[in-house]
Amino acid sequence: MTTLLNETLKESIYMPTPARITAVKTFTPTEKFFKIALPSGFSLAHRPGQFVEVSVFGVGEAPISICSAPSRSNGTFEMCVRAVGKLTDALHRLAAGSTIAIRGPFGRGFPIERFRGKDIIFVAGGLGLAPLRSLIDEVINDRGKFGRIHLLYGTRTPQDILFAEDLVAWANAPRTEVHITVDRPDEAWKGNVGVITKLFPKLRFHARNTVAIIVGPPVMYKFVLMELLGKGIADGNIWLSFERQMKCAVGKCGHCQLHHIYTCQDGPAFSYAQVKHLEEAFS
Amino acid sequence: MSLRIMPKSLLKTWIKHLQSRHFKVVGPTERFGQYVFEEIHSADELVMDYPTSVLPPKKYLLPPRERLFTFNAKTMEMQPDIQAVPTVILGVHTCDMHAVAMLDKVNNTGYADQHYKARREATYLVSVECLTPCMEGSFCKSMGTLTVPENYDLHFTDLGSDYAVEVGSEKGAALLEGCSAFWEPSEADYARVDAVIGAKWQHFPYRLECDVTELPDLLALSQKSPLWDELGERCLACGMCTKVCPTCYCFDVTDEIDLNLEHGERIRQWDSCQIEKFAVVAGGHNFRSSRALRQRHRFMRKGKYQYEAFGLMGCVGCGRCAASCLVHITPVDTFNALHRLRQAAQNGSAAENTASNQEVQA
Amino acid sequence: MSAKTLPRIAFFEFTSCEGCQLTVVDTLQDHPELLNAVEIVQFREAMSERGDNYQIAFIEGSCTRPSDEAKLKEIRAKAQIVVALGACAHLGGVNAIRNRMALPEVREYVYGEKAAWFETYPARPIEAVIKVDASLPGCPIDRNEFAMAVTHLLQGRLPNLPDYPLCIECKLLENVCMYQRGKTCLGPITRAGCAAICPSYGDGCEGCRGLIPKPNWAAMKAVLREHGMTDAEIDSRLTMFLTYQTMQLEAKAAEG
Ligand SMILES: Cc1cc2nc3c(=O)[nH]c(=O)nc-3n(C[C@H](O)[C@H](O)[C@H](O)COP(=O)(O)OP(=O)(O)OC[C@H]3O[C@@H](n4cnc5c(N)ncnc54)[C@H](O)[C@@H]3O)c2cc1C
Ligand code: SF4
Ligand code: SF4
Ligand code: SF4
Ligand code: SF4
Ligand code: SF4
Ligand code: FES
Repeated sequence: MTTLLNETLKESIYMPTPARITAVKTFTPTEKFFKIALPSGFSLAHRPGQFVEVSVFGVGEAPISICSAPSRSNGTFEMCVRAVGKLTDALHRLAAGSTIAIRGPFGRGFPIERFRGKDIIFVAGGLGLAPLRSLIDEVINDRGKFGRIHLLYGTRTPQDILFAEDLVAWANAPRTEVHITVDRPDEAWKGNVGVITKLFPKLRFHARNTVAIIVGPPVMYKFVLMELLGKGIADGNIWLSFERQMKCAVGKCGHCQLHHIYTCQDGPAFSYAQVKHLEEAFS
Repeated sequence: MSLRIMPKSLLKTWIKHLQSRHFKVVGPTERFGQYVFEEIHSADELVMDYPTSVLPPKKYLLPPRERLFTFNAKTMEMQPDIQAVPTVILGVHTCDMHAVAMLDKVNNTGYADQHYKARREATYLVSVECLTPCMEGSFCKSMGTLTVPENYDLHFTDLGSDYAVEVGSEKGAALLEGCSAFWEPSEADYARVDAVIGAKWQHFPYRLECDVTELPDLLALSQKSPLWDELGERCLACGMCTKVCPTCYCFDVTDEIDLNLEHGERIRQWDSCQIEKFAVVAGGHNFRSSRALRQRHRFMRKGKYQYEAFGLMGCVGCGRCAASCLVHITPVDTFNALHRLRQAAQNGSAAENTASNQEVQA
Repeated sequence: MSAKTLPRIAFFEFTSCEGCQLTVVDTLQDHPELLNAVEIVQFREAMSERGDNYQIAFIEGSCTRPSDEAKLKEIRAKAQIVVALGACAHLGGVNAIRNRMALPEVREYVYGEKAAWFETYPARPIEAVIKVDASLPGCPIDRNEFAMAVTHLLQGRLPNLPDYPLCIECKLLENVCMYQRGKTCLGPITRAGCAAICPSYGDGCEGCRGLIPKPNWAAMKAVLREHGMTDAEIDSRLTMFLTYQTMQLEAKAAEG
């Protein structure tokens, strides 16, 4: 058994390893879920919050978060992909049985051991639930080691809700609350409506013993941060994941640079304390 | 380190010697009144006292366009393309030597880039001492790059009829092996070298109005400077400044495939943080949507970010960007303008403080 | 290969010199495998049959008279994908030079429906009339880029072509800048993709591939002025290929 990363680093850090799509599920018109099997003998050995570089030969490569928990890995992993361009569109055209290629896992994930014994607030906007799912599952699989859990999830419409089955399962886990809100409801929607920050009044937590983990589109961060900081959660206990354009994932191409930081290697998970003073971090 | 003397007339002999040992020999040659590094077939093509080159010798370590690997999209077979042609680069200026140190650092930090490494290991750097300023826009003395760093294999100093050749590494020593062009120096030769190097210093101006060590702090305080908007107004976003820069290394990665959709290759190509789409992410959000923000990013990298990330300055003062920029945006002018703005602000607030103190007293 | 049905493509021309279609013919000679990858059902330049059952339409030439519009719309209705082939179709091309000269709009206003009898109206890119899925820029198009575009189409995606400035490409080739050779060049505001062929052969770029997405128009003019061009010369320089695009920009600027 060797790790995929060892294989990635062997001859050329840019050369991926073939992997097979074993299942595809359509979540929404723009988002699909993929289950990937590594070649036999390989393990992914990732941390929640890490990502892989996915190749479709002849089209290109893109960074995609690993959305399955390490504890459920066993030579496979999962990802949820929104079709927005070259590579992601190409992935959407592939069916189970197709072969793609993978490098990684890359970056620093979330420091889950630092969350033990604490209450956790997960805040996910849209596709941000994908990287968080890996962490949420890992926490719930080890439920006893963590305090109360809140998941706040915001999407544009009820049709955009991802991981519906997981949301139900999490809501049924002990001492776990799931709150979902949509910007634009349909007739059938009976849940919350409006921006995600509207969900905060529903939460009961002890700020000193709480960590918050936020993943969503760039515009979401500012408002959620204001809310969390206003509730007294410390900078170092707020974690986020940054999206930047990435062309290499190994700290070489310069695309993901934020100040002196390379998001691909130093992130994508950061504590607010690490990045709050950096110009362009939230612009 | 040891010193050898080579009569200039024997440069030809040495180059032939290297070629007979199957080294690819490259050096500065003339092209339309400018100079470019190119493979040398005979010493006559070489212009050792060239002012500057269009592209820095970086192009041999990190080519403008490079195949990373080939693939077969049907069988999923892959083959890395790692090139290591033994290459001697003649006539590298000291600023560009500092830039190579930067590239070495980047490519060996974290996961080492095997493509770069293989090429770097097969590359022999023969640097040359600059005796007069190469051009108007250069400011190596201010950036501390007018002295050769320790990464040279051989370092040449022009003594008039001879070159003083300092041997900086075993690789360098290997280049002299079996060639009779290099003589043991006499006491007088050491003195000649010292005299030439001692005399050159005063010919170079300090062009920065602050010390290079102040740049990171100056830039930190200039994130919100109005100067960036002014540069953004003028900038064409043509990207030339980054293409010609010896310390820029950003690249893009693309695939090419044949019409049978079977055999293809993954290519990397120099990219530029000055172009519109460099920092766009899915959904269209652009982290540096204006030319002003992109200019700021460029200069922050040059004077602050790279220093913080790698401990080396991201600008070596070669002046190529200044010479290329059609709208005359230059690092010297930019850093000096920020320095002056900063001083004016400090003087202003000092004056204000004095004024308010006086009010309190009155 | 034979079992698979190949994508059916057709070529059409409007007001143009047919140079781009000739380049396609050249490309077919360079890349004979193209003929195994697609089925050409209509291509006046190379064959006599005229199939109407096409999926991808390559359109050369600009729209210069009212009767062109109906034909363009008909092609659009039949094709799944429409690709503008070359500067005329993409930008109005050299045909648009006249747009600034007479007052053809006035003529159209006066003669209404019958304007077509009285020759033409301002030349426009086909995008002004129908939805275009992709454009292959250049006067003429670049043969490698044509092959690349077809490859992308075969992959089931739209062609993905560079839209960064020509200077990038030019500098990758280590050309000595035209401005340092005493000439002028529109490279800083022109889309790359032609391998900087004009500067590589010692001529300044004329902008045949069209403008980059957000050209710094004012700065470009200032550079040209600094290099000795009069305002009239600058206008005429920007007229060769960029008339339509610059007039659009001016109109936009005038709107505020
Ligand atoms: C750490 C990380 C984790 C991610 N995880 C996921 C995930 O789990 N699921 C998921 O679906 N996505 C994820 N993304 C986003 C994903 O990487 C991008 O959507 C993808 O790279 C787009 O590539 P593409 O080839 O499909 O699109 P492109 O064709 O490259 O571009 C599509 C769109 O992206 C923008 N864009 C990006 N790069 C460029 C460029 N060079 N030029 C022009 N436009 C550009 C534009 O808005 C464009 O419309 C993640 C990104 C990062 C950095
Ligand atoms: S060379 Fe000058 S005009 Fe071009 S991008 Fe750089 S600063 Fe802007
Ligand atoms: S920023 Fe300009 S002066 Fe500095 S190293 Fe790069 S090209 Fe040379
Ligand atoms: S900038 Fe200085 S070190 Fe570089 S070439 Fe010019 S004179 Fe030499
Ligand atoms: S010759 Fe033209 S395209 Fe090339 S660098 Fe100069 S301005 Fe740019
Ligand atoms: S250099 Fe300019 S004019 Fe020449 S082919 Fe390219 S885009 Fe057209
Ligand atoms: S993605 Fe290339 S440096 Fe981070």
